[in-house]
Amino acid sequence: MEPLMTFRGVSMSFFGHSMRGMALESVDAVFVQGRTTAIVGANASGKSTMLRLAAGVIRPTEGAVVWSRAQRATSRAFVPQRSALAADFTARETVSLGTAAKEAPAARVDAALEAVGLLSRGHVRYHSMSGGEQQRVRVARALAQVEHADGSALLLDEPFSSLDPAEVARLVEALRAFTGAGGSVILSLHDAGLAREVAQAAIALRQGRVLASGGADEVLAPASLRAVYAHEMLEATERARWLRPRL
Amino acid sequence: MTLRFVVLLVLACLLAGFRACVGPQADGQGNIVFGVALPTLETMPYRLHAIAGAGAVGLLLALSGLALQALLRNPLASPFTLGVSSGASFGVACVLALAATTGLSAQAFGGEFGGALAGAALSLTLVWMLAKRASGRDAVALALAGVVLGGVMSSAAMLLEQVVPRGLRGDLLAWMAGRIPELPAVSSLLALWSIGIVAMLLLWRFAHVLDLLMLDDDEAAAAGVRLVPTRVGLFIIGGVLAAAAVAFAGPIGFVGLVAPHAARLFVSHRHALLVPATALCGVIVLLGADLLRQALDVGTGRLPVGVITALAGGPFFLWLLSRSRRGGSEWNL
Repeated sequence: MEPLMTFRGVSMSFFGHSMRGMALESVDAVFVQGRTTAIVGANASGKSTMLRLAAGVIRPTEGAVVWSRAQRATSRAFVPQRSALAADFTARETVSLGTAAKEAPAARVDAALEAVGLLSRGHVRYHSMSGGEQQRVRVARALAQVEHADGSALLLDEPFSSLDPAEVARLVEALRAFTGAGGSVILSLHDAGLAREVAQAAIALRQGRVLASGGADEVLAPASLRAVYAHEMLEATERARWLRPRL
Repeated sequence: MTLRFVVLLVLACLLAGFRACVGPQADGQGNIVFGVALPTLETMPYRLHAIAGAGAVGLLLALSGLALQALLRNPLASPFTLGVSSGASFGVACVLALAATTGLSAQAFGGEFGGALAGAALSLTLVWMLAKRASGRDAVALALAGVVLGGVMSSAAMLLEQVVPRGLRGDLLAWMAGRIPELPAVSSLLALWSIGIVAMLLLWRFAHVLDLLMLDDDEAAAAGVRLVPTRVGLFIIGGVLAAAAVAFAGPIGFVGLVAPHAARLFVSHRHALLVPATALCGVIVLLGADLLRQALDVGTGRLPVGVITALAGGPFFLWLLSRSRRGGSEWNL
């Protein structure tokens, strides 16, 4: 079980070193190669920050994110949760963007579009597609960006958020094929049930701290999840209590 | 796709050809009249200079617009709508006013191009700071800020105009409306074309990076785009091109807005094709406007070309504005 990437004492504050508003606090985590790892937690628990740190688009305030030496920066692709495309490319053009070094070759673009079930929609303009289709196009872009599945990593922030059930099933299938071929997937999910379905490993975050990490079965067991979402559940109960007499 | 480029190229050549046959000429009794006739030995240099000047300004403004649209990921961006052109004219007016009050030559203050460059940099920096505060998300708010900034800069230039002597004032007013000089120096034409072609080659060389820049910042950075150097490069290209065009011909509006969109509509959104297509469209738009200007007789000579581009481009900008509330679709005309 080779480690793919390690978070070593990573803290992240978007306000510099003042310990105010820490998005992540002393996070230690190991991601294993060839697996799908889900980062779960409530909103604002630090899932997206962890993915952005892993993708290298932000630097940690403290600590380090260390990728295994065999892993090249060019074999990593990141799909943020929200993304605006400031040009009206077709689906195919979007998928073929590749990396700053070069475009993705046509065969790889075809394979990526096929994997997300959009090969026949390649000529359609990105902006005239549905939200779910757009999300699949962006995952396909990430798939086409990495050269081979083997030894590469996909970092996906809430990749299922605008998909309907059939699309979810198809994307889960595509991600399984990717890890089956030796690739690694790290994704953030707020839906623990879906995480159990897709992931072999999981990291549970709460307010920027790691609450549990390890095999998906144990981390995502109902008992452990209660702790992950406890705060939010309590807050919801409080809110309900506050609202009731006023309704 | 090649066919579309051929069509654009033929259109540019046709317009240049027509332009060579239109303009002021002697009527045989010593009067200067406007008319359509094959150029003579006397009129030829004027016509060629006008064509080269209009083409160069179109090229510069169009590429500046494209660079600024990529920099701000904003379809409403252009040197004119962001106030960069007005900033550049303010810079030129500053230099002229300084020269007039001190009695020194304009060259002592960096010349017109130096002033234009400083003014353009000032405007672009202000707009850039505004864009960062709005995190670049709201295209309309930024365009609004740019238009207001442009208004302030133009008024400041008008204020300075009162400082310069009467003789120069008329020139400055006409120049502020956007006017291609009648007989520009060959050296300035060469300089303009060189700047334009170098910028075009640079943008074309990095076309693939510009494509990636159209993605979300995080996505582009993760794909290996170095955001800061790329943006600084676009900032410089957009500013220098606009400044050169303004120093030469005044703030001619909307060419930098219309040309990139026309190129997207006609050719492609991919920058490898979009960059040369935008350059051609810029040349076509300004040659067309210049030709139209020659054809319109308002009784008091010919209108400045900036009046034509504003009359045609202004409504286009408003139309674009009305579309840009429908997230993303404003890039698709």
